[in-house]
Amino acid sequence: MTVSKAFWKIALKNIGTIITYTVILIMFGTMNINSGSTTTTYEAEKPSVVVFNHDEKVGVTKSFIEYLEKNTEIEDGYEDNDRLKDALFYENVTLVVEIPENFHQDIALGKNPEIKTRSSAGYAAELAKVVVNRYLTIAQAYSKINLSEVDLTAKIDKALESSSEVEIQTVVDTSKYSKPTRYFSFANYTILACVITIICLIMSSFNRLEIRKRNLVSKIELKRMNLILLRNCCLYAVAAWAFYVLLGFVVLGFDTLWNMHGLLYAANALVFTTCATTIAYLISRVVFSSGAINGIMNVVALGSSFLCGAFVPAAYLPDSVLGFAHILPSYYYIDANNQIMEIQNYDFETIWPIVLNMIIVFGFSVAFVVIANIVSKKKQRVA
Amino acid sequence: MKNVIEVKHLTKSYKSNKAVDDLSLEVKEGEILGLLGPNGSGKTTTMNCILALLKFDDGKIKIFGEEMSPDAYETKAKIGVVFQEVAVFDELTVYGNIDYFCGLYIEDKTTRAQYVNDALKLVGLEENKSQYPKQLSGGLLRRLNIACGIAHKPKLIFLDEPTVAVDPQSRNNILEGIKKLRDDGATIVYTTHYMEEVEILCDRVIILDHGKIIASGTNDELKALAKIEEKVTIEVADLSPKQLGGFEKIKNVSEVEYDNGVLKVVYNKGKNNLGDMIEYLKTNKIAYSKIFAERPTLNDVFLELTGKELRD
Repeated sequence: MTVSKAFWKIALKNIGTIITYTVILIMFGTMNINSGSTTTTYEAEKPSVVVFNHDEKVGVTKSFIEYLEKNTEIEDGYEDNDRLKDALFYENVTLVVEIPENFHQDIALGKNPEIKTRSSAGYAAELAKVVVNRYLTIAQAYSKINLSEVDLTAKIDKALESSSEVEIQTVVDTSKYSKPTRYFSFANYTILACVITIICLIMSSFNRLEIRKRNLVSKIELKRMNLILLRNCCLYAVAAWAFYVLLGFVVLGFDTLWNMHGLLYAANALVFTTCATTIAYLISRVVFSSGAINGIMNVVALGSSFLCGAFVPAAYLPDSVLGFAHILPSYYYIDANNQIMEIQNYDFETIWPIVLNMIIVFGFSVAFVVIANIVSKKKQRVA
Repeated sequence: MKNVIEVKHLTKSYKSNKAVDDLSLEVKEGEILGLLGPNGSGKTTTMNCILALLKFDDGKIKIFGEEMSPDAYETKAKIGVVFQEVAVFDELTVYGNIDYFCGLYIEDKTTRAQYVNDALKLVGLEENKSQYPKQLSGGLLRRLNIACGIAHKPKLIFLDEPTVAVDPQSRNNILEGIKKLRDDGATIVYTTHYMEEVEILCDRVIILDHGKIIASGTNDELKALAKIEEKVTIEVADLSPKQLGGFEKIKNVSEVEYDNGVLKVVYNKGKNNLGDMIEYLKTNKIAYSKIFAERPTLNDVFLELTGKELRD
């Protein structure tokens, strides 16, 4: 009771810092949900291309140039070679295409005329090459069958007219829960930063060497004292979690979260908050300098958020990074959020992987408490 | 009287430096034992080893007949400690701090409230109980530090230099409080490098240097080791070499020192040395402005035993 009372009195003494930290970090989380893209269709980008035509603009040559005009941005005024080089370097022009003499005739005769190209670096140049190669591949395929140049040109144009409309289906299906997923995945950072900073701030008072010595020589058992402190840390963390979830209802809308999805998001966040508390508790048992605590909080909260996909979707992260992320509880928390977003039916098969992730996160919590207590026991003597 | 603390052959090293070297001591029930020594002599290290706050290399420590260890919670319940550094929460008031540390031992609220008020009264902080530590002066902070260590009325109290950097008023208050604790039945281990405090307060003294006990006993027993009966100090404006040589020939004088107009004459025997000296000055027509005599101090004992001053 005495220890708990002192814990909350110290917390109250730091109430300004606690409220400021909690509100700022949680507001960060709410702002983040509006930063994601909601685009559901795909539109191809047009690369900029310079064309030097050394052939007559008739037949296949004319068709090729018209195709390029349709599918790329044709740039003019680059007759000066130095200027063209600069444009390629600065990627103002991505591809230079030189159509050789007798191009239309050679294609009609089934030959394979060489198109000289120069390109800039980057994916836009690759895209331009794909556009050029598409025409040449189709032209050469039709040139193998004996057709007049007029018929050949008509066949090529018809083949090139067909195009595919690309639509991102998954976003359409899960768009309702993309914002809650982003909101709760960002909580990996907000909850970690908030819980670690505040708990370590309070615990640093108990960890001052002089106070620690006095606690150590008292009759209260070290294990009991640690449990009391951990229990109070958990109480603070649960309050921070409840605030974050309630704010979620306000920001995302009551209807979005007042369902099974919302319950799963909240439960997953609660399990992760417990884990964040144990991480904070472990840090406070190891590091006693308040300056170092801030640095460690940044490494843990920012590091795990970047590595596990709280800021950047996991799909964009390299396999090596994701492989490493498997050793962090944040990975399983964020993965569970992504799985909650995908849920279509609430059956055992879909819920179980999410529950399994929660169990893994809880396992991490137990491990952190055990390590913290071992460290604490070792520090029962001051030297 | 039975032993409250028994330390046998305690040795503690920091790498190659022996902080405590084969130290053995006993503390009797109801006494104030002074651990006296210069800074770095091993007083605090010895205390921390006894309290199981430090691992030690060798030796045995028993408190109330039980071997001391970090898990000896029943023994710890009877101990109070006042560390050299002020150990209080900046976020709690004076009352809150004493209540917290007392609460680690006393669970009953009513008893605890009584004990906290007793502690406030003992150190004279009743009027400051609502203040925060940062609002207190250095002396009052030290008193709070003591109150936090003794509020639960322990049977054995360790006080580690509790009067360092304290004003005279607070020092007197602290020393009076410690005497009262002893009178109430507590056994006290008092570490300090202030010999005056030890002389006023302690029933028995152990003098430490380089982690070793160099002398122990009551104040009188220790002073007997100094081989000095009395020191007479005289302020004399001017002395010729002949006059100075005359002092050395006085009976029972073992040492004469003259510096900056102050003459120090050390007697190794004799009862009325001050009277004899005044008579000598009168006879030899030596003018003086001030004269006083003093008994040997523990510093003289330390000087005799180690060849250096206690505060070196």
